[in-house]
Amino acid sequence: MKVLMVCSGGMSSAIVVKAIKKEAEMQNFPLEIKAVGTGEFEEELKKGGYDLAIVAPQVKHRMDIFKEQAKNANVPVELIVPMGYTPIGAGKVLEQIKKYFK
Amino acid sequence: MEKFLKWIEEKFMPPMAKLAEQRHLRAIRDGIISTLSLIIVGSFFLIIAFPPVKAWSDAVAPYAGKILIPYRMTMGLMALYAAYGMGYSLAKSYKLDGVTGGVLSLAAFLMMTIPVNVDAVLKEAAKAGIKGAEPIGWALPMGNLGGAGMFAAILAMIIAVEILRFLKSHNVTLKMPEQVPESVSRSFEALIPAAVIIILLWFVRVWLNFDIQKFLMNIFEPVKGVAGNSIWGVIVPIFLITLLWSAGIHGASVIGSIIRPIWLVLLEENASALAAGKPMQNIAPEQFFQWYVWIGGAGATLGLAILLCFSKSEYLKKVGRFSIIPSIFNINEPMMFGVPLVMNPILAIPFILAPLVIGIISYIATSIGLVGRFAINAPWTLPAPIGAYFATNGSISGVILVLINIVISIVIYYPFFKVYEKRMLEEEKTEVVATKTGLNM
Repeated sequence: MKVLMVCSGGMSSAIVVKAIKKEAEMQNFPLEIKAVGTGEFEEELKKGGYDLAIVAPQVKHRMDIFKEQAKNANVPVELIVPMGYTPIGAGKVLEQIKKYFK
Repeated sequence: MEKFLKWIEEKFMPPMAKLAEQRHLRAIRDGIISTLSLIIVGSFFLIIAFPPVKAWSDAVAPYAGKILIPYRMTMGLMALYAAYGMGYSLAKSYKLDGVTGGVLSLAAFLMMTIPVNVDAVLKEAAKAGIKGAEPIGWALPMGNLGGAGMFAAILAMIIAVEILRFLKSHNVTLKMPEQVPESVSRSFEALIPAAVIIILLWFVRVWLNFDIQKFLMNIFEPVKGVAGNSIWGVIVPIFLITLLWSAGIHGASVIGSIIRPIWLVLLEENASALAAGKPMQNIAPEQFFQWYVWIGGAGATLGLAILLCFSKSEYLKKVGRFSIIPSIFNINEPMMFGVPLVMNPILAIPFILAPLVIGIISYIATSIGLVGRFAINAPWTLPAPIGAYFATNGSISGVILVLINIVISIVIYYPFFKVYEKRMLEEEKTEVVATKTGLNM
């Protein structure tokens, strides 16, 4: 499963992404995840192949724009729960991701 | 307090976010962000030309002019790059061709400056024996193309792209037959908009002799004064950014998109003062906040991260452990949502108060000349004392101020941290009891 995460600059999400990857490995869940800043989100989505886009909680004020961009690329969007956006909350995000696993 | 945070999230945040997401402001932000790498690299040449170490600076002094050229071609032409970047972004947001929007915006911006030919003067100078005084043909005064031209670049971007959009939506374009390659037809599509934009600005700037650049600078002068050289320029951004963050919104990304053009102008003025060997005028470009105030990230949370590491609460200690290293590099989002600082009625108080207090202290220290001012854009992930050292071009007292500010932030966070810790400890205790009695299923 291929997931794209968007945060403000793509800096903090690197930490969270690492934790999610680790969690997925532990659970043997096939996950490919990448993080980008808000500016690169649309372009990256267009590259295609993404099954899901997840949005960091601190940029939820741009949710409407992300939704529109994701809709154009035909990718569902999910807002990460606040407590999930930490290294120890990775399990929660993975659960959110799994909901979309077909 | 809880109600207040709810109010921020529901009432205060949406209009602010809407403002920040406004199309033109977004174009300004994205356009300026596209120039940041140039500004960071260019401003490092300022450090090389004026190194903080005396012996070194004496050694490079004869070459300062040569060393400064990359700086002049990047930061010194900031508005030029921004005009293109902003035009590109705005055109894209209207689903128009980005490159066309960028090029038209750049042309509109350049049309606001009148080129000069000083060959006659140069010839005289050459005759008088002044070295290097050779005729150079037409030249553009660079003063208008740097930070001082930022407001003109913004206006140029709006004029150019809005004209492009208006003409396109009313179908006033040259249509090429289908067989013409897309890139060729695209350039013809921009023909009429380009003519309209250039003739309009030519008429206003040359025939009416209306100096748009000067006019805009005069308008923004008071705004710049308040932002750069008054206590309000420090207090208001800190307050708004921390307020938004305590409701879980990336405050700097919202507020920054509104104030950043002015911050950049302030920085560029300081940088050109440094390059010219004059004293720097502005106290509060963005770097002031970055290095003196946001130590560890928004909210000056490095102090709190240190406290967390020594917490008696298992959970908070765990958060502290994963937060401390990113905090040193000013990354604190995982900590924001981990503690959490977001929507936390107890910790919201020091989260807003600590940056305000250290901001005011830093403002006073800067205005009376105790610590250095900022001329250089250093990458924001440097640890604060190191970043402050480079960005102030080697102010040791600035580094000391950063260390003092860390201590102050610890002192301010401490009582609130203790109250929160106590609450967490109680929760942890009941959880243990609950697990033991099997109630926590």
